[in-house]
Amino acid sequence: MSDDAVNPEAVRHVAELARVDLDDEEVEAFTGQFADILEYFETLDEVPEVEREAALTNVMRPDEERDSLDREEALRNAPETEDGFFKGPNVS
Amino acid sequence: MTAQTVQQGDLVTVIGLEVHVQLETDTKIFCGCSTDQTDEPNENVCPVCLGLPGALPVLNEGAVEAAVKIGKAIDADIPEETRFHRKNYYYPDLPKNFQITQYDEPICADGDLEISVEGERRTVTIERAHLEEDPGSLQHVGGGGGIDSADYTLVNYNRAGTPLMEVVTAPDFRSPGEVRAFLAELEEVLEYLGVFDAERDGSLRIDANLSIIPEDEIESDDVTEIGEEALAAANRTEVKNISSHKGAEKALAYEETRQKNAIQRGRAVEQETRHWDESRGITVSMRSKEEEKDYRYFEEADLPPLRVSHWKDEISIPELPSARRERFQDEYTLSEEAASKLTSTKQVADFYEDVAQEFDPDLAATWVADNLLGELNYRDMEITGIESRLDEVTRLVELVATDEITAKNARETVLRSMLDDGRTPDEVVAEEGLGKTGEDEVQQAVVEAIDENPDAVADYESGDDGAINFLVGQVMQKTGGSADPGDVNQLLRAELND
Ligand SMILES: [Zn+2]
Repeated sequence: MSDDAVNPEAVRHVAELARVDLDDEEVEAFTGQFADILEYFETLDEVPEVEREAALTNVMRPDEERDSLDREEALRNAPETEDGFFKGPNVS
Repeated sequence: MTAQTVQQGDLVTVIGLEVHVQLETDTKIFCGCSTDQTDEPNENVCPVCLGLPGALPVLNEGAVEAAVKIGKAIDADIPEETRFHRKNYYYPDLPKNFQITQYDEPICADGDLEISVEGERRTVTIERAHLEEDPGSLQHVGGGGGIDSADYTLVNYNRAGTPLMEVVTAPDFRSPGEVRAFLAELEEVLEYLGVFDAERDGSLRIDANLSIIPEDEIESDDVTEIGEEALAAANRTEVKNISSHKGAEKALAYEETRQKNAIQRGRAVEQETRHWDESRGITVSMRSKEEEKDYRYFEEADLPPLRVSHWKDEISIPELPSARRERFQDEYTLSEEAASKLTSTKQVADFYEDVAQEFDPDLAATWVADNLLGELNYRDMEITGIESRLDEVTRLVELVATDEITAKNARETVLRSMLDDGRTPDEVVAEEGLGKTGEDEVQQAVVEAIDENPDAVADYESGDDGAINFLVGQVMQKTGGSADPGDVNQLLRAELND
């Protein structure tokens, strides 16, 4: 990853996938920040290999119903709702 | 993306499928919310299926069992270890902004399913089948009601987290009809396994890849073998939004014609995603934003890997429809058509076997395949709708088998009344007086008819044999139609010839 320089085009692409609208100034700022963040990960290469704990497998629960949230509670943080639905913008 | 044009020669259609089936579990795949379809939005939701921060998924054992059963039924490998990945994309039906699915280590790999197309056996390769979670459902409101023109979107997460199995086939289909036959067989197998409910709204969703290639690219007599290069060279369209096997046949027939027309006119077939518009009966181009690499698959660290290959030996599955069809033909000497009808669902097949063993396989076949399924079909009902009353149907067959009522009355009066009025067969027989009349009673009616109709008797005695029919009619009237006309005829002759 560190071999690929972060360029403004990559930032625009990632922003588009995340449906985030960035102006040119923001793209420039994020290009620098992306590069910095990727560099932090390189630090991890210096950490010596550690013995991992025995891996978990087959963690499952029985197919038994548990209480769901009250709808009011479920919708509580939504900026907009209508008739019990979450309401959002057109998604074309 | 290069345009594809073919100048000459015959064209062959190549189709591969991705079939999404909802698994019949009580709860969602990663949380304990109910999978019931309710009319009320956002009733069956919790922090996990709403993707609230800090919520952790825990895998539903029932969904894994269902997946292993499917793997066993399609004779797939269940690998030593299988795991989950996150597929990232932003869309409001996905509250976490990623879907938990399986990527390079699916739970089922390399299976197959045999189908019968116009009497010919064909084996369809199933490359993989994997577990994943269903997204929520969206309603586009206002504007023209379409996605593009809607004013806003309403989101319901009841469906989010319903377990799905995605079944991916090799590009083995050569016609829309084959696709339909495969989907019907797959549905039957899944219903036999008890992991799928075809009646459920949206329980089956199909994406299909279709391309057209020149016939001389087929490498051998085996129509399923098409060179990979030829396939790669042909542009294909992915048709989405198909929700039934009948819909699949229609959508793909449309798409096949559309592509062939383009090629024959020397126009290009674009490589694209198209949306099946069921109400208009056409496919329409969809702007597709993401490419495979944009999904940025990475391992789902909140779900440890699964090691369930040994479950394949531990979990048993019932005899599957194709095997049962063959056995019915051998064991009960049924025609292929009757055997097919009688194995169309597990409930029908189980019921047929019960009745066949108690009475007679032929009588049982007539009663279950023709009479019962016919009357149910006429009423738009399924056998599942009368499951608790099947012992009443058995009783009705018994009444016929023991000659207590005529087959005609049983079929036309008793069975119909059972279905329409909810009466038991014995009630209908008693209330309608359908029991076959005792011999003494018939004999008495014969004597009466002769006494009361001297003219007809005289005609008969003077050689008019047709007069006997009038007398038979009189006896039938006296016995309320419950006597056997043939028997009556003989009794009359015996009495008159004395
Ligand atoms: Zn939930």
